[in-house]
Amino acid sequence: MPATERRIRVLIAKIGLDGHDVGARVIARGLRDAGMEVIYTGLRRTPEQVVRAALEEDVDLIGVSILSGAHRVLLPKLRRLLDQAGAADIGLIAGGVIPQEDIPTLEAAGVSRVFLSGASVRQIVEHVRQTFGGRQ
Amino acid sequence: MNDRPPDDRSAALAAAAQAWREQRYEPEAARHPQRKPFVTDTGIPLRPLYTPLDVAERGGGYLDDIGFPGQYPYTRGDRAGMFRTDPFVISAYSGIGEASSCNRRFRTLLDWGAEQILVAMDLPSQCGYDSDHEMSTGEIGQVGVAVDTLADMEAMFDGIALQDLRRVGSLGNSLGPIVLALFAAIGQRRGLAWSDYTVNLQNDPLKEYIARGTQILPAPAAARLAADCVAWCAEHAPHWSPMTVCVNHINAGGAGSSRATAIAFANALHYLDLLLAQGHSVDATAPLLHMFADERHDFFVQIANLRAMRRIWARLMKERYGARRPEAMALRTTVYGHGQEALAEPLNNIARIAFGTLGYVLGGASYVYIASYDEAVSTPSEESAKVALRTQQIIAHEHGFTDIIDPLGGSYFVEYLTNEVERQVLQALSEIEQAGGALAVIDSGLGRRWMTEGAVRRQRAVDSGERPWVTVNKWPQAPNVPNTAFRPDADAASRQLARLARVKAERDPQRVAAALAAVDAACGSGANMVPPALEAVLSHATLGEICDRWRAHFGVFQPSTDF
Repeated sequence: MPATERRIRVLIAKIGLDGHDVGARVIARGLRDAGMEVIYTGLRRTPEQVVRAALEEDVDLIGVSILSGAHRVLLPKLRRLLDQAGAADIGLIAGGVIPQEDIPTLEAAGVSRVFLSGASVRQIVEHVRQTFGGRQ
Repeated sequence: MNDRPPDDRSAALAAAAQAWREQRYEPEAARHPQRKPFVTDTGIPLRPLYTPLDVAERGGGYLDDIGFPGQYPYTRGDRAGMFRTDPFVISAYSGIGEASSCNRRFRTLLDWGAEQILVAMDLPSQCGYDSDHEMSTGEIGQVGVAVDTLADMEAMFDGIALQDLRRVGSLGNSLGPIVLALFAAIGQRRGLAWSDYTVNLQNDPLKEYIARGTQILPAPAAARLAADCVAWCAEHAPHWSPMTVCVNHINAGGAGSSRATAIAFANALHYLDLLLAQGHSVDATAPLLHMFADERHDFFVQIANLRAMRRIWARLMKERYGARRPEAMALRTTVYGHGQEALAEPLNNIARIAFGTLGYVLGGASYVYIASYDEAVSTPSEESAKVALRTQQIIAHEHGFTDIIDPLGGSYFVEYLTNEVERQVLQALSEIEQAGGALAVIDSGLGRRWMTEGAVRRQRAVDSGERPWVTVNKWPQAPNVPNTAFRPDADAASRQLARLARVKAERDPQRVAAALAAVDAACGSGANMVPPALEAVLSHATLGEICDRWRAHFGVFQPSTDF
């Protein structure tokens, strides 16, 4: 990659109380190994804290890992807070235990892509590259 | 006296084994592409065949290493009769929404034949937040039942006779004395003696810091509160099992079962050391500690792991801690039957979970829970919970699985694997102890490093196809989760909030304030936390109010941002 090209910056976030972060950490490593700048929030963050971190770190996208079932409330809230903070350009993708039937609702609420557990790291890396690579 | 079979000493056997390998097996293997690397998830290379030679590699003999069930070193079972006299306890882990819906599910499970109920609490309850706390937004009743006060627990067990269950309990890993107090209080208010029923807690906070993530306080304070539960039970309810030290979340998080077992042993020894430092004896307290074993990838490793765990624990207790009572050396184990469940074609998970559960039963686990086939994606539906329970009953009663004790004992492979798993666990335990023990596993990042490395290795093994996984990397199918996810109904959260408000309005505020002041005092004095927690829950103080006192005194944990 040419030195002038900006590396994709990703915030991997855990929102809500769900404490399972192995998936989040594996994805964070995979994205870093693929040459991206990755920041991980650690457990139990509120949507407000995640928005603040995303703005401070000037990320291109946020990847939320959520397995508790609170995605239906917390993901739309996160998107709304990002938009209100003038950060509509920051992408939002999610992964975890999310029933199929919830995906259209989440997409309508501005989550651009939902990966179910079982998705490979490679699939996620490729999606992030294609969607968020080449941004300036 | 040499108690090995005579042929394992014979040079003739060695020569015959070598001849078989070189002249028969290897030429045949060379004609076929190797299907996959033959190695366990824990990293033990697998030979094509095992003979007495492999068992003899490690030395030892039948009486020293294997022995008899219910006798030192307990390799073949923690008690003499095992399932022949006392089948494993058919247990159900359940909880959803609010207490009333949970009560209906519990009654249904008991009608189907469940013998033990373990309450699954929602995340706000497990993390010490009341339903009306900001952090509870979207989480009320989601992964378990909402518990704010004793009123919720009483509604949950309404009409259910605790003395008719073989055990009853909950996880409450970070809330130990509160959850213990809730179960003690239900009995007390019903006029039962604590000897009339049996309570089981997971109450193992140390693993939360690296694996499960419901930690509330700094780890040393959490460990002390957990140990308080054991000390209290040793005095007031010695047949309860107030602590089940967990391998499972650490293994599931990536550590592999041998390293996860070593971390769990280090955690168990940390709790035990706290109890001994308070003047309790190993013989009075060790019998109250159980372990929660875990291995989900390799059927025979499940069996070997349970056998090795019992042997390691017996030797630690006898040789290092000077235990004299058999109950302090005989390790009782709980398991949760799992396979590698997939999201695609979830009904296939019934087969995976049945095999995974069978492995534990053949290894001699005492208390058996089982995953439901839809558990990878939601709280189990009524139908999937029923299939899970029936699977346990089939394993307990059909096919002859439980008719003899330790049926795979003496298998050349299983004995070899038991020795190898034991070696792996002891080596990892030695690394942990050199690093400084259980707290160092958390503070130094050792535990998270082992888990992340293992999780990355497992992900690569699946992505590359080295570990075959039907419908994921073999005959791959898109995840196809049926939209029947069992959820709390939309109004459950608001009803829970109303109920909490009502309890707060109706309780005696002076009694609550005095009880919480006693909790404060015990934080500072180091007195056992269970008695003030019992008075607090009886006063209808909320879980969050009690935890707030703990947080104010001990501080809160800081989440790691490493990956």
